[in-house]
Formats: sequence, structure tokens, C-alpha cells
Amino acid sequence: MRLIIVGFGFIGRELVKAICEKLDNIKKIDNAFKIVGVSNSKGYLYNQEGLDLGELCHIKELSDYSQNHHSGSSSIQLIEEGAADLMVEATPTNIQNGEPGLTHMRHGLKRGIHVVTSNKGPLLVAFKELTSLAEENQCELLYEGTVAGAVPIFSLVKGCLQGERIFRISGILNGTTNYILSKMYFEGTSFEIALKEAQERGITEKDPSYDVDGIDAAIKVVILANAIMKRDIKFEDVERVGIRGVTQEAVSLAKKSNYAVKLVGTIDKNLEVAPKLVPINHPLCVHGTLNAIHFETDLAKELTLVGYGAGKETVSAVLNDLITVLKKKKRENIKS
Amino acid sequence: MKFDLTLALLDRPGQLLKALEPIAKNSGNIISIIHEREKPTEGYVPVSLVVDFPSNQNFTRAISDLRTLDVAIIKSEEIVEKTRITLIMIGKIDLKKIIETKVEDGRVTGFEVSAPTSKEACVKVDLEVPISSVDKVLEEVKRAAKMENALLISSV
Repeated sequence: MRLIIVGFGFIGRELVKAICEKLDNIKKIDNAFKIVGVSNSKGYLYNQEGLDLGELCHIKELSDYSQNHHSGSSSIQLIEEGAADLMVEATPTNIQNGEPGLTHMRHGLKRGIHVVTSNKGPLLVAFKELTSLAEENQCELLYEGTVAGAVPIFSLVKGCLQGERIFRISGILNGTTNYILSKMYFEGTSFEIALKEAQERGITEKDPSYDVDGIDAAIKVVILANAIMKRDIKFEDVERVGIRGVTQEAVSLAKKSNYAVKLVGTIDKNLEVAPKLVPINHPLCVHGTLNAIHFETDLAKELTLVGYGAGKETVSAVLNDLITVLKKKKRENIKS
Repeated sequence: MKFDLTLALLDRPGQLLKALEPIAKNSGNIISIIHEREKPTEGYVPVSLVVDFPSNQNFTRAISDLRTLDVAIIKSEEIVEKTRITLIMIGKIDLKKIIETKVEDGRVTGFEVSAPTSKEACVKVDLEVPISSVDKVLEEVKRAAKMENALLISSV
């Protein structure tokens, strides 16, 4: 299979490195696997014979690559004109309109290119449209990296909970707020100091509202509700309260009663992101930047997954999705 | 629906079987039974049962059938299963108002106010509520917190 990577930021670069490290294993699944194109907002690299992975691993900008650089050309041109079977869409998340990722995915799927993504924006604004487009064009659309990074939520549900009726999903879906609340819990610091430390450590942006006001967690609630609970909801449907109002006194009072305050996203008959009291012996009570997802179902009853939800760990989910497509297509090729 | 039932049966053979028939006929599932044969009072033996009926109608019919058979019923009431809810409110809260807020079906079992170093007060409330009323009680508390412009942190 010929892969193009659209977006050469942190995830794009880390994915190239992971593919490079694990190429022998990938080639065992698909001997013809190669990365034929990589793009960002400034242009793209394309070589139908395959790009040099060793060189690709060591460049920061696409223009640093020794050849095949199409400066000023767009990712759409690469998708439309390059010969690719599989695309990883890893451009930055835009929650207003999903762009540019949404257009990239639409173009890719219409051309019959399988899409793997960690970009939440397009799935937030056009989940139904994209899944229908994938179905119409007999393509895979996999998005494990969009919620809780390395934690295999969608793969677990698709592969292991097929006969279950899921009543409720609740989760700690944002590592930054969990880091801040954990600092307040263990060190007795105020929200302001814990936030400042998170900013200094690069865990959150200078404008932290995306994390602390529950926006990021609410986006994930929408994706989980639409993908797993088969709902048709929008961002505005989620009742959202962030953690700015959580005081040190509240965290201490909770701690005295064996609770920790956590920002929890819940999907049942309600859709909510809000600070909650989590009993310290509850499986959702994880600390630091960890994420946790708790399923309540009719047969399995309760199931919890815990793992890291952002940064380099997200590459694990993207790579797994990529390998899932390679394996599925290999099986189909053998059958035909 | 679970019901607590205490019957007084004549201390004669076959009385327990006779009393259990209306319960079985009305789809009652006996969860526990205590037959205190060694403690007869004036010729009667107390029998305490916990029975799960599919509906209130089934329970009412069973009681009526027991009465028709002249079985003395000492106690018959629904067992309401309760749970504890802990919540915290943060804000410029009128504590008196919070204490006086009547949460239908709920009973306040604990109340703790932190010594606020910040401008906003912080109150922890423990409630005991019937399991079937949890959503309703939480909605009421949510409304009260909203009226007070307070941040409500409820338990998962």
C-alpha cells in the first residue's frame, strides 16, 4: 500500500519515526508498503517509488528533504494527483469548521483512499457525512487517535463488545485538567499555581481554555456518543462546566471523604462534561496526565481502560489503525 | 419491587404452605424467610418474609388473597433501597438557604463547611435517597445550585 501523510507537525513526524522503527514488521504484512507523499501547509513531497524513510525521519521541514519537494503546492493536490491507497490525516484540530482536515478527508474518501486520523475537528463537525462517504466508497475510516490517544476505545468496542448494550460511558478525557487536579489533590496547590506549572511544563497552551473549560473533553464526548452510542449530536448538545471554579478547599474537603475531584465526561441519556467527585477506589480515579474510560454495559457490566491520552502516545493509535487497514486489505486480496 | 412481610400463622402443620401459595400465585419471589416456630405466641408463630413482586398490583393481590385465607398480616411494606450521595457546592452560598432547601425524597445525613481562605465558601453535603429517586434528587440539587450561582460537584 502507498501511504501519504497529510500534516507534518508533531504527530506526522513522530509517525514517520515509528514507521521507520517498525518497518520490518509492517513489511511482513504488506511487502509493498511505502510512504509516497508527505504534505503540510507549505507544500508536499512526493515520490511514487517511495520516499527515503531514513531521511524523512531526520528533517524538521519538508524543504529540508533533498528532492521531490513541491513548494507552494497544496495537500489537496497531493491527495488528488498522487497515487495513494491510504492517507493519515494529521493536520491541527479546528473545532469551528473542521478545516483543513475535513476537506482533505472528503477528497481522500471520494477517491477511494482509506483514511486514518487523530484529527478531532472533522469528526466533530461531520461524523455522519464522513462515515457515509467512507461506506459509499468502500473505504476504511479509522480514528482511534482522536479520543484518549493510545487508549484503544473504538478498537475494543468494535472488536470485543459487539454484543453489548452500552448504557453509559464516562471518562477522564483530558490529561491537562487531570494533571492540574492531581497537583491540587496531592500537593494542596491552588488551581492558579497548578495551571501555571502545567503551562511551564508545556502540558497546556498559553491560552488554556481549550482544556480547563472542558472544550477538549466535550469534543471527545461528541465523538464517543456519535461513534459508539450511534447518536447524532453536536458540540452544543453537551452540557459543559470546566474546572476554573474548583477551589483548593473543595479538593481538600473531597479528599477528607475519600474522593478526588476529576473532570469527567459522561454519555448516557445526558451528555455532560463537569467536575465530579470520584471515589478514590473507583477505577476512573487515575492521576497525572492519565486518561481513563469506563463502560457500563448489560453483559460485561463494567470495564475500564486507562492510558495516556496525548502527545507521542497518540502515534500508537494511529499506527495501529494503519496496520489494521493493511491487514484487512491483505485478507481481502487473498480472498479475491 | 421488594416487600417486607410479617405474618402470624397458627401453630399447626400445613399453615406455612397455605400462606405461601398466594405469594407464589401472584409471582412473588421469596428472597428470605424466617419461620420462628420455637417462639409461638398465643398459638401463633411469626413468619418474616422478604418477597420480590413484579409490580405493586401483584403485591396487593397477594395480600388480598392472604386475607381471604384468614392469614393474619402483622406488617406489609415496600422496602425502599437507598443510596448515599455526596456533593460539594462552591460559591457565595447562603448556607442557611442550602440547609433549608427541601430535597424531596432525600435526607441530609452530613454537612461540612470548609474554612474558606478564598472568597467563595465550600460546602459538602451527604444525602440519603431512594435509588429510584437519585436522578430526581440530583436535578433538584442542580437547580438549587444554579439559583445560588454555585458550582456543583456531584459524585459519579
